[in-house]
Amino acid sequence: MKIAVVGKGGSGKTTTSALLARSLGRQGHNVVGLDCDTNPNLGLSLGVGDTETERLLSLRDQIDEGDREHAHTWADILDSYGTDAPDGVRLTVINRIDNPEPG
Amino acid sequence: MLSSVPSENTVIVADLEAGIGTLTRLPDQAVDVTLIVTEPTPRSIDVAKRAALVAAERAQGRVLIVANKVADPEDEARIYEAFPEAEIVIVPADPVINDADRRGVSPIDIDSESPAVRVLSGLSQTIGLFSGETLPG
Repeated sequence: MKIAVVGKGGSGKTTTSALLARSLGRQGHNVVGLDCDTNPNLGLSLGVGDTETERLLSLRDQIDEGDREHAHTWADILDSYGTDAPDGVRLTVINRIDNPEPG
Repeated sequence: MLSSVPSENTVIVADLEAGIGTLTRLPDQAVDVTLIVTEPTPRSIDVAKRAALVAAERAQGRVLIVANKVADPEDEARIYEAFPEAEIVIVPADPVINDADRRGVSPIDIDSESPAVRVLSGLSQTIGLFSGETLPG
């Protein structure tokens, strides 16, 4: 199942995404939190902490600047550009031009 | 991107960019559920109304309005007036959310029983996802 969370900046969009993801994780679902925001802080709201959130963002910046190769599959993205958040949630940051084939 | 992500046995929660830019670029039927998050302020409601139109036009699944920071009956009335036809979840204003923002942590790790945390955590039931039952596709 895919759930999109949208809204104006400051509306509580990221907090809403994070609490939905954490509660689904607590109930035993496999959950992936996708941070697609240009000003991303889903990591903080999921509870992975400042250092890990910054690390993921710097990886994404490296791709945007061409210093690092794009992941080619969804599994690669989850692996290379993701981190484990509490309650079993996998957090991944997405840049705008990533467009992997399923696999 | 989102439409090509495999989601069998997995729930993908995509925190899209602020505003409706990403939503307008998604292909039709890219997601199963769209949560439109708003504050009870005119500007936020305006963005949410536009998002609701786009989500309906593009068939982005079931649409729910999530009204955050609702402090009083006037706030609540403003939301119901703005979205007379919609499925609405009212989330009370809650200092735990602000506290979590300031500290850079998850509200659920401060107080999982606080009013807003309870309602937002309960969204999974509202959407129809119950314990251990991850819908395919």
